[in-house]
Amino acid sequence: MSSTPVIVEVTDPEVRPQPDAEPPRGRRRWSGLSARRLPYALIAPALVFMVLIHLVPTGAGVVLSFKNLNTFTFSQLFDAPWIGFGNYDAILFEEANPLRSGFTTAAWNTVQYTALTVAGTLGGGLAIALLLHRKMRGQRLARTLMLTPWIVPSFVVAVVWQFMWQSDVGIINKILVDYTGILDHRPTWLLGPNSLWAIVIPSIWRGIPFAMLLFLAALQSMPDELHEAAAIDGAGPLRRFRYITLPLLRPLIAVQLLFGVIYSAYQFAIPYVMLGTNPGPDADLMMTLIVRQSFSNNLLGFGAAASVLLMLAMFVWVAVWYAAFRRDLQESR
Amino acid sequence: MSYATRRRLGNLALDVLTWVVLLVMLAPVLWLIASSLQTTGRLSSGAYDLLDPTFEAFSRMWSSVDFGKYFVNSLIICTAAAVIATGFAASAGYALARYRFRGAGAFGTALIGTQLIPGSMFLLPLFLGFIWLKQNTPIALLDTHIGMILVYTAFFTPLAIFFMRSFFQAIPRELEEAALVDGCTPFGAFWRVVLPNAAPGLLATFVYAFLFAWDELLFAAALTQSRAETIPIGIRNFVGNYSEEYAQLMAAGVVSTIPVLVAFFATQRWLVKGLTAGAVKG
Repeated sequence: MSSTPVIVEVTDPEVRPQPDAEPPRGRRRWSGLSARRLPYALIAPALVFMVLIHLVPTGAGVVLSFKNLNTFTFSQLFDAPWIGFGNYDAILFEEANPLRSGFTTAAWNTVQYTALTVAGTLGGGLAIALLLHRKMRGQRLARTLMLTPWIVPSFVVAVVWQFMWQSDVGIINKILVDYTGILDHRPTWLLGPNSLWAIVIPSIWRGIPFAMLLFLAALQSMPDELHEAAAIDGAGPLRRFRYITLPLLRPLIAVQLLFGVIYSAYQFAIPYVMLGTNPGPDADLMMTLIVRQSFSNNLLGFGAAASVLLMLAMFVWVAVWYAAFRRDLQESR
Repeated sequence: MSYATRRRLGNLALDVLTWVVLLVMLAPVLWLIASSLQTTGRLSSGAYDLLDPTFEAFSRMWSSVDFGKYFVNSLIICTAAAVIATGFAASAGYALARYRFRGAGAFGTALIGTQLIPGSMFLLPLFLGFIWLKQNTPIALLDTHIGMILVYTAFFTPLAIFFMRSFFQAIPRELEEAALVDGCTPFGAFWRVVLPNAAPGLLATFVYAFLFAWDELLFAAALTQSRAETIPIGIRNFVGNYSEEYAQLMAAGVVSTIPVLVAFFATQRWLVKGLTAGAVKG
């Protein structure tokens, strides 16, 4: 990412004399845009969409979180009555309000889901990348096939895993109980305390290939000299991994942590397809809660307030992340 | 055992481990395919017969739920959104790759910022806004292809921009310099010289956006009702109404995976380059 001088200003004979002047006939054409204005014209479409679909609605979402928008006021849409901090108050402070306990449960589940999924994805991805980084026959084929889980759409992931988790006919219990006898009873996966694992494991499974791909690319771009020198000095593979590979991967791990946590905290498709609109208190995540309350129960004000809190939580995460990894980012630039 | 033998055995063990891990990672996909080739009766009794495949489920899945409708909707919405997003990304990505302009940094930060916002944050206002438009104007965005295309275009443009930028950065600058010396305008250099050279990047960006659009469920669930529903909604309806029809469900899963699988493996070379561009540079 070297600095990018504006080559065009120096070399373009037509534009240079009058970089900002209107074209003679007052008609502005694409091809006549000056080098100074061209980049703005080029980003304009993306910018307009970003403002219309991302920024303005996000602002409107914050506004909605201060409104009393429910079944009775739904027809008023954006003109629903103001309620001040009422939605936030209900979520955070009203002890007896079922919305509060639902929120607390979903928030805690999301924290667990995110931590387990990100740790599993990064750990598994790195381990498999190390395996595939070794020279071996069929390496290219193995690397390509390993990407498959990432291509399978997440709603299909949910469907196939839901089938595999079935207590009586699912292949997982068949393997654990009938074929190997590891367990002597058939666990229920899709209900109760196991259901968090029922969504964590497929999420990790689908996330691993992408993490692996990034780690593998980084491993391949590492200079061999460091490892060779360390090997000559008598460092074994574990020590070389701990003191050379891992520190070199730190910036990449940092970036994957940042986006992995955000992506997992916003997970919706897998629990929604696998467990339905109400996954139950053991596997209800923030997004399933927000969507259920907003669309099944018409509590859109609650949904907006919960979304704001979720967004704020992610801002806090980004700040924490930045404080922890700032030095790695500077080194890599 | 000599050092060399031990080393060779260790290597062999790791080779075997690699293939075992690969098999475990592929197992759910293989299981999906195998189950789609069984009858529902066999699947629900647990008496699979993998040696006796049948395509029954593949022919019946189209009538249980209107899967053909979902499939066509997904194809239209995702293709259109991915094409438009790629166009936007090509132009914005080029601006970020080649020009230094005031606001470039802010624009880049805002692009990443959009990824920080939970979908529900702008889903609820969009939902209400679409309803408002429907009630007060002739603009039909709720439950229409156009509405979904607009939303998906906005969604997948930010990441596609970074994707395209990395492809443009890999194109030698001399190409444009030569074009400009020959009398091309700055836009002409981009349009007639750089863009054709970025064809693999455009294709990879298209597939990338398509993969993500194909996977999108949250907005499709809220913003479509009956006419513009996409495959994930169809699958969800299937799970809701025919949860015991496992074979058909698995067949539907296979059918909805094939387009993205083909698109990915056909463009894998360039796609992987774009995906890992950031990782290598750090």
